[in-house]
Amino acid sequence: MAVASRMMFKRGPAVDMRLLFAVVLIVTAGLVNLYSATSVYADTAMRARLADIYVTQVYNMVVGGLLAILVAAIDYRHYERFAMLVYAGGVFLCGLVFVLGSSTRGAVRWIQIGSFNLQPSEFMKVLLVLMIARHIHNDHKNEPRTLVDLVIPGVLILVPVGLVMAQPDLGTGLILSLTAATMLMMTRIRRRTLTALLVSGVGVVWLAWNHGMKQYQKDRITSFLDPEHDKTGIGWHALQSQTAIGNGQLLGEGFMQGTQNQFGFLPDQFSDFPFAVFAEDWGFLGCVVLLGIYCFICVYAIHVASQAKDRFGAALATGIGALIFWHTVFNVGMAIGVLPVVGVTLPLFSYGGSSVVTTLVGLGLLMNVSMRR
Amino acid sequence: MALLGQRSDVGEFRRRYRWLVLVAVSAFLVLVGRLAQLQLVQGDVHRAQARKNIIRERSLATTRGVIRDAQGRVLAANRPSYNVHMTPAEVDLTETWPAVVKMLGIDEPEKGELERKIKEIQALPSKGLTPFEEKRRNQQILLKVDVDRDAVAYLETHARELKGIEVSPQPVRYYPYGELGAHSIGYMREVGAEDLVRLEERGYRAGDRLGAIGVERRWESYLRGVRGFKKIVRGVSRRDDVQEVEARYLEEPRRVEPIPGRDISLTLDIDLIASIDKAFRGQLAGAVVVVDVRTGRVLAASSKPSFDANVASGGSGVKAVAETFRRLNADPLKPSLDKSISAAYPPGSTYKPFSALAALSDRIIDPDTEVDCRGGYEYGKRFFRCTGVHRKVHLHQAIVQSCNTYFYELGSRVSIDRLAAVGIDYGFGVKTGIGINPEARGRMPTRSWYTRRYKEAFRGGFTLLSAIGQGATTVTVLQLALAYAALANGGTLYQPQVVRSIETSDGTVVQDFPPRVRRLIEPNQEQLGWVKSALEGVVTEKEGTAYKERSTDVDMAGKTGTAQVSHVTPRGVDPGKVWYFNRDHAWFSGYAPAKSPEIAIVVLVEHGGGGGKNAVPIAMRVVRDWQKMKEKRLSSKEDQASARGKPN
Repeated sequence: MAVASRMMFKRGPAVDMRLLFAVVLIVTAGLVNLYSATSVYADTAMRARLADIYVTQVYNMVVGGLLAILVAAIDYRHYERFAMLVYAGGVFLCGLVFVLGSSTRGAVRWIQIGSFNLQPSEFMKVLLVLMIARHIHNDHKNEPRTLVDLVIPGVLILVPVGLVMAQPDLGTGLILSLTAATMLMMTRIRRRTLTALLVSGVGVVWLAWNHGMKQYQKDRITSFLDPEHDKTGIGWHALQSQTAIGNGQLLGEGFMQGTQNQFGFLPDQFSDFPFAVFAEDWGFLGCVVLLGIYCFICVYAIHVASQAKDRFGAALATGIGALIFWHTVFNVGMAIGVLPVVGVTLPLFSYGGSSVVTTLVGLGLLMNVSMRR
Repeated sequence: MALLGQRSDVGEFRRRYRWLVLVAVSAFLVLVGRLAQLQLVQGDVHRAQARKNIIRERSLATTRGVIRDAQGRVLAANRPSYNVHMTPAEVDLTETWPAVVKMLGIDEPEKGELERKIKEIQALPSKGLTPFEEKRRNQQILLKVDVDRDAVAYLETHARELKGIEVSPQPVRYYPYGELGAHSIGYMREVGAEDLVRLEERGYRAGDRLGAIGVERRWESYLRGVRGFKKIVRGVSRRDDVQEVEARYLEEPRRVEPIPGRDISLTLDIDLIASIDKAFRGQLAGAVVVVDVRTGRVLAASSKPSFDANVASGGSGVKAVAETFRRLNADPLKPSLDKSISAAYPPGSTYKPFSALAALSDRIIDPDTEVDCRGGYEYGKRFFRCTGVHRKVHLHQAIVQSCNTYFYELGSRVSIDRLAAVGIDYGFGVKTGIGINPEARGRMPTRSWYTRRYKEAFRGGFTLLSAIGQGATTVTVLQLALAYAALANGGTLYQPQVVRSIETSDGTVVQDFPPRVRRLIEPNQEQLGWVKSALEGVVTEKEGTAYKERSTDVDMAGKTGTAQVSHVTPRGVDPGKVWYFNRDHAWFSGYAPAKSPEIAIVVLVEHGGGGGKNAVPIAMRVVRDWQKMKEKRLSSKEDQASARGKPN
């Protein structure tokens, strides 16, 4: 055993420069873009708040980066054993939100610790990926899985998803489900089971729409389907975002020159719509480059998974890739008006400590797998 | 210890990586495709929308043209006025609000309503509002229009403490003469929602005002002027790089100056209208029109009761406007009706000269034709009453004494169509084309009109009534004045004019309106002479119906009229006690000076009773005033001329 272990570390783990380079590019672009997003013209109080946001985000990056290095340094295979523990802790924190949480706009999402606002549902994303990876690792049978086989992962997914949806945080619930589902799709599942799941999924959506969803959540979706109809509320946000992106044209208005952003037409330009800011400043070419990098990270994660030595590493890499993928597709999709406005962050572009740290830790895990394949 | 080694079987995943890559890449390609659509295909549309978002076109108000009378006195102008607005979100309810309420004199129920609104808006959170809520939060509420100087001074000096209270200038149309000539000059009203649909393309916006009646309405497009605009970048005043930002985003032209409206000079003489108003004081309702017989220009048009154009235009606030119109519309004396133009009345005996001319030109009568008046005329089974027993009368006495019997006899000989034809020659039964206010046509009944109207055989009695200006005959005061002007000037029927010229705001005449002849009637001058000498007799001869009320210093000819309305006044009852609305209309139509006429005047006293007693004194006073004005103007002109003539 010890020999095998020594053989694995024969050359020692080497930092994956390609992945590192891509992540550094995104981090840099995200900070540059946030600078533009926080330089809008406003009164003194608002400008001070925006400057604060920018500085905080830099701190978030630093903290996230350090944590990522730490996470990458320890062989990921050790995490398999702790996955259950951290997952349980995460679920506990998600539940604790309802007891200690502070609410914003009718949703309880944060736990305040000192001056920090912790968003457990963000961390839950990585924790769920770890947990599902562990499950897949241990569930290595050869015949296709049936519905019974999917009960355990189903429960593992639905507990945090349920808690997050109840906050209510539709976006995070969606990301959690999609990411975990993507990971499970790696394994072999019986066709009939898959069909049954799809059908019942549609049923659940129907039920949720009619009984479970809050009015503002429905509004978001109806205004997505018909943004012209609702020009004052959420539909207005979506239209202004598309105007901003279109205004970028081929080459963009230039850094900090996008008028939609500068004159305050983009709502939540630093959290929900940073892509619109970027697209307006840098135009189509800038967008293609940026989406290219995101796409590279996603595809590269799959590449890393395909070369992983064990099921845990492969599932972990796939999970992190899926996380980045779904975040990017949903955030950009809502900004360009092909998906409804759900509060999903753009990895490393959106402002938010929990989100940035989670993403960087996730990328640290990916790096970890990449270094040890 | 080995890490996971023996349980690793990654073979199961192998076949799925390719699919994942395919899904991921195609998802990104979809995003890029949509981006290409937004940024490349629709880029221009979105760029335009983005510019529209940040650019505001602030309109630059124009000034409405001034209306002047024939002597250059201002009849309608613009005066500065100040409106007070408040921004509810900023108002301090406890500290400063009570003082504002007291200063502006806001009453208790309104105060309560305003305070409710303020509290409601102040309860809104300051963050996280939809644009609609944001708009509502920042909206301004009009507190009071046209506040007095003291209030303005107070509000301006305390501007710092009075947060959320704002004074803004808003010019208001001002009519220095108030009620005088209000129907002809007009007043302003706010553009209604339904007007806007039609007027929007002509540049009107909600809150704009436009002329409601009279000259203000008819000449609206000249008076109004053209609004200018200034493009600004939204919220640019907060930025320190104003110039740079504006240069970057604003397209030329960045500023277009407003064009002030045209000034209009009227033919009306406000002194003459004032004189009419004074002379009319003893009477409740009626109208007077004075025209220049040599040009057809309307020197005065007055309709009573009148209204204050300032109040009607909103000079005393929106509430006062509503209140005024409620009162005007409820008044049985119909103050909002222009009785000089928009209403037709039976002319009574003032029509007799035209009946006489019709009969004379057909040689049915001559000045020697004699009729024996025994107080009436028997025709068929009916007896047509006369105003008295005049015994043997010729044409001259018949007009002077206003003998109906003579004209019944005349009516029994002439055809009704012939009477109507002559009437139409003199402009009755046809709109005069004055242009301001809806014009009544009046009526010259013909045989076919009667058969159409009553669906029975035509009766000769109708002609008898037409001959004395009763029956179905109706005329407007303006028509009568123009017809008398045509008598006075020897047969030229003019188009009436109210506007003399149009000028730019610096006084350059843009358009001038020379007199326009509608028709040369070409009456037989000898016959016309007989009628005119009778009209002089009405005033100068002892039996004349206007003789008693004449002024010796007034040189005027004319004809009285007492036109019956619906019911016949019962005999033996004091006319003052007859229900007002059953009383006859009192008329006087004439021209002055008698020998070389310059003006024609028609006075109608609605339900005034006898024309001689009630209408003549008014006409006398007005013409006397006119004579005085003429002399004064002549002498001042001579003074000027002699002053100019002097060396040094």
